[in-house]
Amino acid sequence: MSFLLNKKTYNSRLIIGSGKYKSFKQTKKALDASGAEIITVAIKRTNLGQETTQENLLDYINPNDYKILPNTAGCYSAKDAIRVSLLARELLGDSLLKLEVLADKHTLLPNENETFVAAKELVKLGFSIMVYTTDNIKLAKDLEEVGCISVMPLASPIGTGQGIVKPENIKKIIKNAKVPIIIDAGIGTASDATIAMEMGCDGVLLNSAIAMSDNPILMAEAMKYAVISGRKAFEAKRMGISDSAIPSSNKKDAIS
Amino acid sequence: MNVILNGKEFLLDKKISLNNFLITHNINTNNIVVEINGSIITKSLWDEYVLKENDKIEIVTAVGGG
Repeated sequence: MSFLLNKKTYNSRLIIGSGKYKSFKQTKKALDASGAEIITVAIKRTNLGQETTQENLLDYINPNDYKILPNTAGCYSAKDAIRVSLLARELLGDSLLKLEVLADKHTLLPNENETFVAAKELVKLGFSIMVYTTDNIKLAKDLEEVGCISVMPLASPIGTGQGIVKPENIKKIIKNAKVPIIIDAGIGTASDATIAMEMGCDGVLLNSAIAMSDNPILMAEAMKYAVISGRKAFEAKRMGISDSAIPSSNKKDAIS
Repeated sequence: MNVILNGKEFLLDKKISLNNFLITHNINTNNIVVEINGSIITKSLWDEYVLKENDKIEIVTAVGGG
């Protein structure tokens, strides 16, 4: 069940985001219920005029207990993404990063060119890049070849909860890959996560599916089992699909 | 003397170190990174960095995100 990412073994193949929760307390509870060991955070300006006693997300999610995966959310160019990456490395003292360069504010789809340019540059700067990308098969391979440690194609656009829109593309990306393929964005419910894992994805990264459900703690737990279930089914290798019915019991012992 | 902090203008009446500026403005200095004019200023240099006219200061931290 465990998997290797950036030379470290993780027991959980579920990575969760920390956005959209009602409170830091709820974020922490959902994180614990999900069993995830890696949690993504965004790097943004601090609120000014706050009290020095105001809590910070990192007071709740202790970087000694979890792997904090900073992202470059809010970046629309390679230049901005590189700047945020350097700030993230300074903040967390670690080179692991989720690279995300978006095309526009409406679709929130990855900007393929800028993502590629940023990935190449950040690898040169010594970052370990997990890259958010489209389900473009060629680009996924190119991102691997420039040195990204994980390629993370979307299931469907961020926050839509539509599940995997083009499973055939994801399957081809997995088949071509030598680095972990992690589905990132678009997962809506537990069965979507299971389907991704059954296909052979190495992991699933999701945020809204938990945070925007009516009961995030319960959904976090559902996602934990969904990912485990999908992975076990993948490892067990499913039965073949038949056009005609095949009885489950042996014919020769039939009474009549 | 003016400096710009996270997009907002601040008027300073005397020379002040970055460290004192952060303290004066009640900024929680745990879990933040400071960038001035596009360059990161490591925490160990906050005391010796004296703010200059039109310095563009950005203070960032980790927030919720996916």
